[in-house]
This record gives sequence, structure tokens and C-alpha cells, in this order.
Amino acid sequence: MRERKQILIVDDDRDFAEAVACFLEANGLMVFRAHDGKEGIKLAKMERPDLILMDIMMGERTEGFFTIQEIRRDPALRDVPIFVLSSFCTRLPDFEIPSSGGWLAHDMFFAKPVDMVQLMENILQRIGKPG
Amino acid sequence: MSGPVASPAVVVIDDDYAMRLSCGKILTKMGLRAETFEDGARGLEGVAKLKPDMVVVDLKMPGISGMEVLSRVHEIDPQIVIVVITGYATIDTAVQAMKCGAYDFLPKPFSPDELRLIVNRGLERRRLGLESQCHEVERAMLTRRFVTFVAHQLRTPLVAVHQYLNVMQHLDQSPAKEHEWIDRCLIRIEELQNLIADWLTLARVEGGAMLKERIKVDLSQIVLDILKAYQETATAEGVSLEARVPESSLYVLGDRNCLSVLFDNLIANAIKYNKPGGKVTITGAVSAGEVVIAVADTGVGIPEKYRPFLFDEFFRVKDESAKKTAGTGLGLHISKRIVSEMGGTIHVESQVGAGSVFWVRLPAAHDPEAGIGSQNDAGAETNSNSR
Repeated sequence: MRERKQILIVDDDRDFAEAVACFLEANGLMVFRAHDGKEGIKLAKMERPDLILMDIMMGERTEGFFTIQEIRRDPALRDVPIFVLSSFCTRLPDFEIPSSGGWLAHDMFFAKPVDMVQLMENILQRIGKPG
Repeated sequence: MSGPVASPAVVVIDDDYAMRLSCGKILTKMGLRAETFEDGARGLEGVAKLKPDMVVVDLKMPGISGMEVLSRVHEIDPQIVIVVITGYATIDTAVQAMKCGAYDFLPKPFSPDELRLIVNRGLERRRLGLESQCHEVERAMLTRRFVTFVAHQLRTPLVAVHQYLNVMQHLDQSPAKEHEWIDRCLIRIEELQNLIADWLTLARVEGGAMLKERIKVDLSQIVLDILKAYQETATAEGVSLEARVPESSLYVLGDRNCLSVLFDNLIANAIKYNKPGGKVTITGAVSAGEVVIAVADTGVGIPEKYRPFLFDEFFRVKDESAKKTAGTGLGLHISKRIVSEMGGTIHVESQVGAGSVFWVRLPAAHDPEAGIGSQNDAGAETNSNSR
């Protein structure tokens, strides 16, 4: 059993990652940061986080999606919850991705900028209280 | 638009056997793929199956009328060019057919030459139609992609600032951390400002500002003014600046603001992508009716694989060293647009690790006040380009 729950944030915007990471750390979580898909896959395999926060439009337009697919290919990471954080469609409210959502089924979508309190609640709901 | 191009296909629909035979022969001799059908129903089946470039159809046939064939063919593909064949007595009908979308008509009897002429014209029309259709689709796609991309570019710094503020609202940070974040917010807001400024410049250039305002501009003065403005930044980066431009001879016709933007971009890049202890050298000369200005740096250089894309919209070199440098990805694209609008050229020479030289060539403006001969003789300039 780990001492603290671990979150991986994959986002090419270092400022965004910094703000989110600091908030999560202040709330008792341990955070790893990756700034592109490749680094994200590497850290996911190495650290086996309890939950992943994933940006979509990074260097490539849909880098986040490919990164998720690749992460899901690892049997050990097939069921890790992944929250998509994207400024793709800010008009959409945050929502749970339905079971028909393919490899994103039952994960969540959050529009950037993210309401940190709400994000935190959803993270805890998914992974349980920090140890 | 790829692979070997098949020869154009033409479908002939006519109830007259002799007509089908001779049309088929002539078209095949023209190097076209020709298929003939004896009535409207079979003809339409053939059109649906073959997807021809052109249909030649007799208006007066038993069964489905030529006029109906016409509209049904265009239901299959509105880009198919249709030529109707008609007897002398039915010119009115031919006019009617053209109103219904036929491209042209051939009155009976017609010579092989007349057929060839009209078929060639029709096929040319088909080609142009397809091309413009292609361009339209391409343009619409590009615009859509561009809009989403720009929206994302504008949103990114805004989201970062918003996120910092959101977290600061909920979290008591150390004053040092808070300071650091405020600095980051200011940097990101500046990024947004630059992006908007660049985008407006681009819109100005694309809107033809260069053509409206063509005044005589002294490029030496512009370069010296920009260098002065960047002196402080350059010193902070440990980069020295040098101008080797002759006084009062580098004249071009154009918009002063756009020309400032052009050299501002090049000089800012030369400082930004330089190394501590590096140097930026601007040389200028007039040669063969052109003002030639070179902006040279001793910086990181540009890998060859990136050079073809260097002047594209939003292109940024993806190397680690370049990633840390702020930029909108529009600077060089704007520079290229400005130079092209003025009838000039811009190109780059670069060596990784050693530096890059951006060459700008613009048509020189004739200076009536200067002595004739002196300004067009680059060899006579003491400060001429020595690179």
C-alpha cells in the first residue's frame, strides 16, 4: 500500500501543470508531471499512477488521444482512471464519458480552465481519500 | 489527384446506330475512353457505373427524353459536362437544355471537327470545374483548421493565467511562490498580447496594406532604430549588436510599419536564438537594383529538416533549446508575407550550432536626390556585404 495516492499530469503548458500540481500536492496527493505524450507514457509505465490528468492538443493536434491509447495498451494501466483536461470545447460542461466512449469509457472530461475544487472532489471520488 | 491519370471518359447516348458508331470512333481516336448507349435508361445506368467526365446525349429519343437524361445525369454528378445533340428543328429545345445545365449543343448534322472541338472544350471545362471544386474544399478546410488552431493558441496563455488565479484563490502560498506565479501570469499575458499584435499585422499585410501605402523608406534608419530599441535586451542576453549599413542609400517603396515589423522580427529572432557572448550583424547594400539586407547571428542554428517549414504559419522548431524560447510562431510567416507583397525574397542559410543568416532582397527605390550611379554600385560601398 502506497503512502500517498499518485497523480500523473500530462500537459505541454508548464504553467498549467504547475498550478494544478501545486493544488493537488497541497491537498495531500503526490504529483508527477510530463510535458508531452512520450514522457507521459514513460512516467505512467514507471510510476503506475492512481489517476492520470491528460491534455489533448499538445505538440500534435490529438497527441493526448494517442497517448491515452498507448497507455491503455499496457495491461497494468488498462483500468487507470484518466481525466481529459482540454480547452477544446469550453462551452461543454464537465461530464463523465459514457460506456460507449471506447478507450475513454467511464473517464471524465473537464474544460480548461478547471475548477480545482471540483476536480479535486472528482479525483477523490475516483481514487479514494489520500492515504 | 495522384497516381497515373486515366484518359477522360465520354458516354454517348443516341438512338441512331450510325451516330453512335461514328461518335465512338472519333472519340476513341482522340485518345478518350468512349462508351455508347442506345437509349436513356441504358445510358443512365452506364453513367452511374462509369462516372464519365462528359455525356453527349441526343435530345430526341424514344423512351426517357434527353431532357430528363440531362437532369438525371446531374443528379449522379453535377460536375459531369453534358453536350446535347439536336436536329435543326429543335434549336429552341437546345436552348432549353442549356438552361437545364447542358454545357453546349451540337446541331445535326455535324462534322467530326465540330465534335472534337466541342468535346475538347467540354473536357477543359470539366477540368477547371474539378480544380476549383478542389480548391474550394481545400480552402474551407484550411480556414477551419486555422480558426481552431488560432483559438487554441489564444486560449492557452489565458487558461494558464486563469488556472494560476484559481489556485491562488483557494491556496495560501508562500509569498515567494506567489511572486513567481504573478511573474508567470504577466509573461503569459504578454504572450497573448504578442499573439494578437502579430495576428493583426498579418491581417494588415493580407489586407493589402503594402499596396496602399508605398512611400520611400530608408531601411538603414529602420535597422538602426530597431537595434537601438533592442540594445538593452541584447546586453542582458550577452549578445552584441552590429550594423554595417551605408547611410542614406538603402531605399525601398513600402509601408514603414510593415518594414519595421519585418526587421524587428528578424533581429529579435537573431538575439533570441543566440548564445551568450554571441553576435548579431546586420549588413546592407544595394546590388543590381535590389536592396540586400542580411541579418546574421551566431546562435543555435536551424536543423535542415525544419528549414522548408520555417516560414509557415505557426511553425516552431521543436528542439529542446527552442522550446524554452517564447514565440508566437507567426514572426517569420509575417516577414515572408511582407517581403513577398513587396516583390522581394527572403531566404535562410544556417549551420547548426554556428548560426543563421536571413537574407532579404527588396526592389530598390530610385533616389532622385542622390548622385546617379553611386547608389546602384554595391562595389563602391565601403560597408558592402562581405559575406
